[in-house]
Amino acid sequence: MSEILSSATLRRLVDQWITEGRHVAGPRLVNDRLLYGWLESAGQLTLDGETRPRNSIKDFLFPRHEKLYGYKLGRKRVELTEVAPLVDEQIVIAARPCDAALGPILDRVFNWDYSDATYNRRRELTTIVTLACQSFDAQCFCTSVGSGPDDPRGSDVMLHALDEGILEIRCLTEKGRRLFAGQTEPSALKAQVGAGPEIRFDLGKVGEFLEGGFEDAQWPEMARRCLGCGVCAYTCPTCHCFDIVDEGAGGQGVRARNWDACQFGMFTLHAAGHNPRSQQAQRQRQRIYHKFRIYPQKFGTLLCTGCGNCTRNCPVGLGVQPVLSAISRKMQSNDEL
Amino acid sequence: MRKSARPPFTIKTTMNANIYLPDLMEVVQVRQQTADVKSVRIRFRDEERARAFSFRVGQFGIFSAFGAGESPFNLCSSSNWQDFIEFCFRRTGRVTEALWNIDEGDIVGFRGPYGNAYPMDKWRGKNLIFIGGGIAMPPIRCAIWYALENRDQYGQITIVYGSRKVGDLVFQNELDRWAEYDNVRVVTCVDPGGETPDWKGEIGFVPTVVQQADISAENAIALVIGPPIMIQFTLPVLSKIGLGDSDIYTSLENRMKCGVGKCGRCNCGPAYVCKEGPVFTLEQIKRLPKDF
Repeated sequence: MSEILSSATLRRLVDQWITEGRHVAGPRLVNDRLLYGWLESAGQLTLDGETRPRNSIKDFLFPRHEKLYGYKLGRKRVELTEVAPLVDEQIVIAARPCDAALGPILDRVFNWDYSDATYNRRRELTTIVTLACQSFDAQCFCTSVGSGPDDPRGSDVMLHALDEGILEIRCLTEKGRRLFAGQTEPSALKAQVGAGPEIRFDLGKVGEFLEGGFEDAQWPEMARRCLGCGVCAYTCPTCHCFDIVDEGAGGQGVRARNWDACQFGMFTLHAAGHNPRSQQAQRQRQRIYHKFRIYPQKFGTLLCTGCGNCTRNCPVGLGVQPVLSAISRKMQSNDEL
Repeated sequence: MRKSARPPFTIKTTMNANIYLPDLMEVVQVRQQTADVKSVRIRFRDEERARAFSFRVGQFGIFSAFGAGESPFNLCSSSNWQDFIEFCFRRTGRVTEALWNIDEGDIVGFRGPYGNAYPMDKWRGKNLIFIGGGIAMPPIRCAIWYALENRDQYGQITIVYGSRKVGDLVFQNELDRWAEYDNVRVVTCVDPGGETPDWKGEIGFVPTVVQQADISAENAIALVIGPPIMIQFTLPVLSKIGLGDSDIYTSLENRMKCGVGKCGRCNCGPAYVCKEGPVFTLEQIKRLPKDF
């Protein structure tokens, strides 16, 4: 037996949550483009159409702009004010599995040694309701990084679309069960999960290449057309680099953290003028190494969920999948020689 | 993908601790060292914090001028000093421009200490060779004072300090004081053309001066900090006199924002300089990819 609910019930619940004062986010059309955003009503929730939103749910756990504290300057005096902690519950509805997986991945970054209380608070207050994928585009590659269309990692609830507005629902955590208690009904219907996108590269071969490929001639070759715009990092669920800046005027303001990206030349520029990554190729290489070697060596999983947003949004068709496919092909043809 | 051993992982919920919130520090002394370098002594305004605070020489902090931002600097005072901590900076950007204008009694922010430290315990019983260039003297100075304050625990101390010109030497007034200690040799040098008529030190580049200084590598370690070009040419000299890669130490100073292993910019390959560094041996550096 499984549990089901209708999409009409889901929408009714979304409206109810919003009325109750919870913040609900989900895929919605903005100027005909599917993006995750805060919902004002369930009518905005878009459950079909494009394969996945062009952004990620990262915004809701790790906002692109976040006040760390406020400052006020006086004569020989500084007053720091803490930002009021988040108190309202957040619900992300119809996240894709490749987005939901970011929680456990970012947990490690924000908690190794030093615990980031703001992040943890947001994470504790957020429930992630995932919608398993049924369609894929040419940029999807979850299956190439050991994931798939119904990977439960990071999800509190997994929804599967059945026929005619019916959803199978699997509550995976206590948070998820609480959210849907009494709202579902037993059914004999059971979702069939597809195989997902075809495997696009051999992860083992990529690992072999990265082992000794730091100074490979492939990097400058591949990075040549990169514009360094950073859209790959901004729309990536797992990219988490940030800057800390003071924003204010007239003796008061806030110290804030803003998303940053390793693709920018200023990112590593030293005060004395030296730049360890002065070239775009070095910055492209850093992004791939961080995701497929540095983070995995530290924390045991990849820093990539296979969502494909880096390529989907890239003005010149770069991103993880084309780069790793090229590496994988190169390694395979080396084997054949 | 090769998987290494996964560290144990638990979320420590520390609801009230904002790891980015600095301590407010009172400036107790500002000293202009060169035309564009100042050293600043600061102390905790909170007595309890002051008592609880400790650090190890070699560690760094993130210092802030509110309204301008934060920058990482080495804690260049000895960890034995109780009344204040000290940092030193060159006027070069937005934050250091703001710090340049502070006076005694002003308030700056400090968080830390961060990173690893010089293995002063491991260096006990050894001869110490300190080699610094230009603005890189502050991160060596803390170790020099620490060693001098525990003089019986360390052997011969050799300090080679060079800069482009005489006016660029920082903590000049301390060089003579160091030389007064037993078994301490201080060699100063300036680049050719950087001398003044009354200059009594050597004239030459640091690697050459080190080479000609007849320094013994026996039972010694070397701490070398300076511009990349100085380090690059000094290392072969040290190897030649017989120091092994694990006896040569440096401190990497990559751009940082958070200081606590999260903001993602200070890594050199797999090594996060703010966490695994800033102190590395040459042996460790040789194992890292060329990403610095």
